[in-house]
Amino acid sequence: MTSLKTPTAKTPGQRDPYRWSARGFVAPGVLGVAVLLYLPLLWTTFISFTEYNGLGDPEWVGIENYAEMLDDPEFLGSVLNTLLWVVGTLLVPVGIGLGVALLTWKLPGGTWLRLPFLIPYAVSGIGVGVIWSFILTGDGALDQALAAFGIADTPRWLVDAPLNTVVMILATAWQGVGVNALLFTIGLQSIPKEPLEAARMDGANGVRLFRSILWPMLRPLTAVVVGLSIVASLKTFDIVQGMTKGGPGRASETLALTMYKETFVNSDYGLGSAIAVFLTIVTLAAAILYLRQQLSSKHEV
Amino acid sequence: MRSPKIPLGITAALTTALLLASCGGGADDDGATTGTLDFFTNKAAWEPDFDELNSQSESDVDISLDTTGYSDADQYDAFIRQSFRTDKSPGLFTWQTGPSLEEIVDEGLVAETTDIWTEAVDQGWVSEDLRETYTFDGEQYCVPMNVAYWVMYYNKAIFEEQGISEPTTWAELDAIAEQLTDADITPYYQTSTLFTFQWFQQMVAGTDPELYNGLATGEVKYTDPEIVEIMDTWLEQQEAGWFSDAGSTVDPAVGLKQGDYAMINFGSFFNGSLDGAGMVSGEDYDMFVIPATNPDLEQTPVAVESGPLCVAENSSQKTLGLTYSEWWMSPEAQTAWSEARGDVAFNPEATVADPMLEELGSTVADDDHVVYDRYYEATPTPILTVALEQFGAFIANPSDPMPYLETIQAEADSYWADRE
Amino acid sequence: MSRVIRTAVLIVLGAIWLIPVYLLLVNAAKSPDEFSTTEVWKPTDLSLFGNIAEAMELSGLGDSVLSTLVYAVVSPTLAVLVGAAAGFAIVALRLRHGFAWFVAIFGGTVFPLQMILLPMFDAYSRTGLFDTRLGMVMVYTAISIPFSAFVMRNFFTGIAHSVFEAAVLEGATTWRIFTRVYLPMASSALVAVFILQATFIWNDFLLGLVLSQSDTVRPIVTSLAGMQSTYGGAQMSTVLAGGLLVSLPTVVLFLCTQKFFARGLALGQY
Repeated sequence: MTSLKTPTAKTPGQRDPYRWSARGFVAPGVLGVAVLLYLPLLWTTFISFTEYNGLGDPEWVGIENYAEMLDDPEFLGSVLNTLLWVVGTLLVPVGIGLGVALLTWKLPGGTWLRLPFLIPYAVSGIGVGVIWSFILTGDGALDQALAAFGIADTPRWLVDAPLNTVVMILATAWQGVGVNALLFTIGLQSIPKEPLEAARMDGANGVRLFRSILWPMLRPLTAVVVGLSIVASLKTFDIVQGMTKGGPGRASETLALTMYKETFVNSDYGLGSAIAVFLTIVTLAAAILYLRQQLSSKHEV
Repeated sequence: MRSPKIPLGITAALTTALLLASCGGGADDDGATTGTLDFFTNKAAWEPDFDELNSQSESDVDISLDTTGYSDADQYDAFIRQSFRTDKSPGLFTWQTGPSLEEIVDEGLVAETTDIWTEAVDQGWVSEDLRETYTFDGEQYCVPMNVAYWVMYYNKAIFEEQGISEPTTWAELDAIAEQLTDADITPYYQTSTLFTFQWFQQMVAGTDPELYNGLATGEVKYTDPEIVEIMDTWLEQQEAGWFSDAGSTVDPAVGLKQGDYAMINFGSFFNGSLDGAGMVSGEDYDMFVIPATNPDLEQTPVAVESGPLCVAENSSQKTLGLTYSEWWMSPEAQTAWSEARGDVAFNPEATVADPMLEELGSTVADDDHVVYDRYYEATPTPILTVALEQFGAFIANPSDPMPYLETIQAEADSYWADRE
Repeated sequence: MSRVIRTAVLIVLGAIWLIPVYLLLVNAAKSPDEFSTTEVWKPTDLSLFGNIAEAMELSGLGDSVLSTLVYAVVSPTLAVLVGAAAGFAIVALRLRHGFAWFVAIFGGTVFPLQMILLPMFDAYSRTGLFDTRLGMVMVYTAISIPFSAFVMRNFFTGIAHSVFEAAVLEGATTWRIFTRVYLPMASSALVAVFILQATFIWNDFLLGLVLSQSDTVRPIVTSLAGMQSTYGGAQMSTVLAGGLLVSLPTVVLFLCTQKFFARGLALGQY
């Protein structure tokens, strides 16, 4: 663990011997991301201030697209659905993932017991969409199974809002739990032995061990899992597009779907890009707010 | 990143890239008339059919297609739009008729095919009706890749079991739906995503073709009493239990096979799906042209969908693409295509493999029937997007149609206002 | 909690998790003629291999396997090393404004991928990268970097800085410390990032759809998706069989790498 005396506090004038070395190590990552991801994003940002249908030349319209975006009464619905995704994803896949990691930790055969949760991640997206449609469609696998237990009057899983968003969050959890469990496991493995054994000697176990030692020491990887979950859930697209296309009507539409629809279905590139920029700013702000707090050095005990 | 040098450097690089990206695209026509033609299509599932066609085209005109299929129609659309600006500008590609085609024709992006059409109409290879769909400002663009008529498919076993024969009037069709409902069989298939428009289209066009055309041009409002009345009828049918579960994502071909519903209103390309699901054409399933809602109409309207095959004006393969398009119109090509794809042929001189489709082709061509453009192509895209959603919402929760219609009309109002 | 209870809970939960996999297997094995949605739970027949053969034929999967394998091995390897290097610079070398640099890299993942497809296509076709394996490797590497940098950065914070200082005292260069000390200690994190990113790339559909066209460059899932559409094409069970076939290598990858996560890491000894 990082020592508490932080040698980073350099006195002015004192040269950091690793300055150039550090820049060299970080450069490939920054360059790769900047050239291949930021350049195209800049184009999108430019387009968001124009009227453009993919043909001819973009025409500058200032902030008109942003005004139109906020003007749409259904836009709020997309924002709310997206928030539901953020909350749901933090509760379900992250929670279960942590649970699985803790349950398998130092358990004989734990690796193999964790495997069922990882397999869904390995199954290709094509199979996942089809399978969950099978399960959730009216008179589908779930309804058939419930009927076998005498429950006939089931809700319309994919039709009634906000139930459809909730069941889609669960379907996503099915795929995501394994990844989160794996990341938490790495975190658990990197916990040093001494404090753990010392705590054990003091008689800490179960909940108390978790609260006093494991949870604080898991912080670096918790930050990864939660940070990635927030980002991924704000961008939720694939599963909704695959299962309800945001419907019925626009009842289960997320921001990413609204953006996609304006851009690729209506060929209103300007409006679609404006929504993308809005989504990017929100996501970045959420990520920075969260990570700044989590990654600041005072927590890195 | 508080160091000012880095953001400056990045900004400079980005600006340069943007300037580069804004240059025009396209390439000079290389003038070749034989060889391999790059072909792009959103009907990715048909790729093997196009490959099958190559042996015929190689022996006739010495051109073979190198097909790239895009399974995502929306991405495909965006890809093609973008490619006009690059040297990937396509020598042959599929598109949609209606406002989408008009848009790229207006931008001068599509090669003219007037000569090919004149020749084909003179030879009797294609109908005058179909030419109109491909005409803009008196000139033709693209050639028809396929045509599909929207008809009613039905499960023959169910019809026989219930002693039902194909209806010839709308009243008979209604009676069939009632009879099936009484026998605990759901009459019609429906879905709340994407294909939500066909029943609306059927009833509006079947009531009054003028009314239908008025919706497409903005002269008729979605909130007009005639439209509201049609929606109310649809609502009554919904409440009577005539339609299948809106939330079902079961493949419609499988649904018809297992008798989830007795009938399904779909395009005539649906034969292929039904065959694939293990049903036999003419034995397990059949089809009929849906009678007009209004019995006083002189001709029964039939929705037609036609997918164009286009050549980009600035493609390096423009000549090659046009040579292929010319061959495409010929009876040889259409016979081979019908054999490969198992679809209706637009060319009356072509031989159609499936007798059911052969019959449909001649039925629709007679004087008692008139074709109209499918709602999906006839409606301007922004209105269509909202309409598909609103019909989907109406189907999922059948209730007073007025709020749904008002939402569609609001989009239509803003669309037509922008166009003035 | 006792071991027995923990094991029991995991087995029950794991069984629930495998139910959809069961449905996938059973229905992928049904012949298209037999397939029905009213009996999804019951295995009816065993046409799995027939369906797989059909899927391979319809989608031309064979051509895509090699190139997809290249993407799924090369890109995550590069990304994991680049990400580890960035993490090393920020944590061990205490790069000035480390958090800002970290956000700069992580920012590559915050926007929806769909929005950069069109400019990427444009740029790729101008630079000759369109429809090339190099171009695909580049884009897959770039989108894997943020995740990799994030995990590695945070993993390295768990390594005491005294490890770094001790190595410096022995006269090691930063490169040597990175490759001989930090990378080996991070093997489980490196493997985890690698398999997660390799799986993501193996299953990618969208980038492959937009940035490639020929059968030898297109990744496998893009090819597979091509056989499925409203306008006819493959039947449901064939699609499922294809999906299953495509998933096999990633499942095997997960199985083979489990041993990396079985043993604990003795970081505490430093």
